[in-house]
Order: sequence, then C-alpha cells, then structure tokens
Amino acid sequence: MLCRWRIDLSSHESHFDYEATLDACARGERQALERLYAQESARLLGVAQRLVRDSALAQDIVHDAFIKIWTRAASFDPSRGSARGWIFSITRNLALNTIRDNAREIQDDGDDQSLEAQATLEGWNQTVDSFDWRVNPGRIEFCLEQLEPVRRNCVFHAYVDGYSHQEIASKLGAPLGTVKAWIKRSLTALRECIG
Amino acid sequence: MSNSPGNDPHQPIDELAGEYVLGTLSAERRREVQRRMLDEPALRAAVEAWEERLLPLTNLAEPVTPPPRLWARIERSVNELVAPIDTSRREIVRWWQSLSLWRGLAGAGLAASLVLGITLLMRPSLNAPSYLVVLVAPQDKAPGWVIQASNSQEIQLIPLSVTEVPADKALEFWTKADGWQGPVSLGLVKPGETLHVPLDKLPPLQPNQLFELTLEKSTGSPIGKPTGPIQFIGRAVKVI
Repeated sequence: MLCRWRIDLSSHESHFDYEATLDACARGERQALERLYAQESARLLGVAQRLVRDSALAQDIVHDAFIKIWTRAASFDPSRGSARGWIFSITRNLALNTIRDNAREIQDDGDDQSLEAQATLEGWNQTVDSFDWRVNPGRIEFCLEQLEPVRRNCVFHAYVDGYSHQEIASKLGAPLGTVKAWIKRSLTALRECIG
Repeated sequence: MSNSPGNDPHQPIDELAGEYVLGTLSAERRREVQRRMLDEPALRAAVEAWEERLLPLTNLAEPVTPPPRLWARIERSVNELVAPIDTSRREIVRWWQSLSLWRGLAGAGLAASLVLGITLLMRPSLNAPSYLVVLVAPQDKAPGWVIQASNSQEIQLIPLSVTEVPADKALEFWTKADGWQGPVSLGLVKPGETLHVPLDKLPPLQPNQLFELTLEKSTGSPIGKPTGPIQFIGRAVKVI
C-alpha cells in the first residue's frame, strides 16, 4: 500500500534557540518549557503517535517527555548533540521502549532459516517509494536517494512507524533475513554517505 | 541463537547503535544497549551520532495538534514537581528530596561525586555509609535514586525525585556483582518511597557491584530476570 504524506516544508527550527530554551528550563523558567511546547508539541506528538499508533498513549508519551525535558534540562550537553535532537530522542525512546515492551508479537531476533524460501529478490527493483521523503534539506536527502526504494522503505518503516524487522518483513512480504540484511546495509551506506 | 544481524553480541558498535536508534532492536536488546551506554562512551557517542544523523526523518511523521488539555496536564505535573514545600511537612522533607537541589546537580559527571560529598557532609551524625551508589537514568545520567549501605547486610534505596510508573507496571530492583551468573531481584520498589533491603541472602557488597531499576509487570518480572527497560542504573562505590 502506498502511503503518502504531506510534510510541512517550512524551516521550523531555524529561528528557535533550542539550546537557550533548555538552559532556561534548567534554571526553572516555566515559560521556556511552554515556548518549547508551543514550538514542538505537534511534531513530537506526530512522531509518538506514528510509533505507538494510539492517540491517548501518544499523549502520555509527550507528557512524560516534557516532564523529562523539564527535570533533566540541566543534564543536556551541547557538545554531545543538538538540543532539538535531544528532545526528539527523549520522546522517541519513551515511545520505542513502550512499543517494544508491549511487543505486538514475539520478537524474533535470530533464527531466519525457515523464512528464506518465501521470496526471491527479483521484483524488488520495481518497488516504489512508500514515503514522500524528499522533504529534508541537506545531506540526508542526497544519501537516501542513493538507496534503492525498497531499502529506503525499510529504514522509514523502522524509524517512523516503529516496525520491528518481523513487521517490516510481513509488510513487504520479504524474508526476514533479507530485511535484516537490507537494513544493515542501508545503515552502513547512510553512515558512509552522511558522515 | 544464530549470528544473524541484530543478534550477535559482538556486533560492531556502530551497527548496534544504528539499529538502536532506528528502533529495530527487541526490548531485551534495547535494554542491553541502554545498560552498555553507561560504561561505554564509544557506544554512547555512536548512538548520539545516529540520533543526529536520522533526526531529519522525524519530519516524515505528520504533526498532530495536541488537545489543549495536554499542556494543562503537563503544567499540572510540573506544578506538582515544584510545589513549594508546605511548612507543616517541612520537617519530614529531607534534603535529598529537594528537586531544585537535584536539578542543579544533574550535570552528569559531577553528580556522583557531589552526592558522595554532600551525603557525608550533611549527615555527620550517622555512620558514614561504607558504600554508596547513585542510580542515574541511562539516557541523560540524571540521578534518580541513591543507595546507601552503612553496613554490608542492609541497603537503603532512597528516592531523589518522582519516578513515574505506568499503572500496570512496577519498578523492580536488581543487583549483580562481578562473577555472578545474572542479576538478582531485590524486590519491587514504590516510587517516592525509601526501601530497606536486607542482603543476608546474598554475598557481601562489593565495589563496582551493579544496581538497577527496571520497569516490569506490576507483579514483577515473571522470569526472575530483568525483562523491562532500565530506568535507573549505577555501580557501588566504596566510601573511604
């Protein structure tokens, strides 16, 4: 199934000083947290909701994320990453921990042998993009373009939808081992390309 | 167990970090990465690099405007965290429950040594504990609990802040010393309450002994080993 999304193309992060806002949160300035909420709550809720697929649970996660941001703002270290990345990572980690802990299925971390016979790789070249992904200025867009669409879809289903290897394999009708290999190679390619 | 990708304990750090951030690891392997990040700066750096690399992909999730009640709820929770201490309760509120103190101390590396120093300075009337452990959150090293042991037969687990636990979950307390087969449960923990744990069923405390709190089913881990994500983790430091 082809799912396309309209993405907000505005450069939302450019005029907001995330680092100064976290500093202000660390000093206990409540308005700073509110500014951050006004700036990012819709995007954070969007990210959480795609991952957990439940609006009430997604709101719980954004609630918990903002409490964490508030109580831990002082521990943010700009030498280790961007302030915006930090708040998104807090939210994604809460959401990912939640879905993996309540695994929708028995996780299969290994043992692929029985699945290899189910599909051949022929035909995957015809795969089209499931995501309207040309939305990110900069390096990553170029690097994503270097991946075959099917591998790109694996990356997106994992990162955006929170799908496990097994769920991606079911979704694509591809063998589990193949999906794992695709993802592994995609990550290697992205790391080499993005740097 | 096979050596397929995502399953190999010797998987290269960068690959493991990439799968962790991508989200494809199982609950068990996520927990393992969160645990290892505490002791392995290289793994932590690799995870942070992947978080930055993939951050633009968050744009692929369509924004969802939250209902007004969500901010109201966050504000209420923040108010509860910073509510001024009622005078009648002042005597029973201990210094380590002062959130503003802890927020100030939350700078990762400093926290452990400061807790040691402050605990010793501020509690001169008690015997100095022979071991101290600061349990920090895996992601950002924010201190959440202190364990002190004034003798080797009992430890106290003291909360430093509010730990939020979902209604159908519980925090379970674990320890493992070097050479033990696996973590041993020290029981379930109520958020915000000090827990006294007799250690008479276990060997004496050791330096570097690992302690952690994981999120488990409300009745505790069904298999006697941690199954949920690590909420707080730390190692025992001997106090001179």
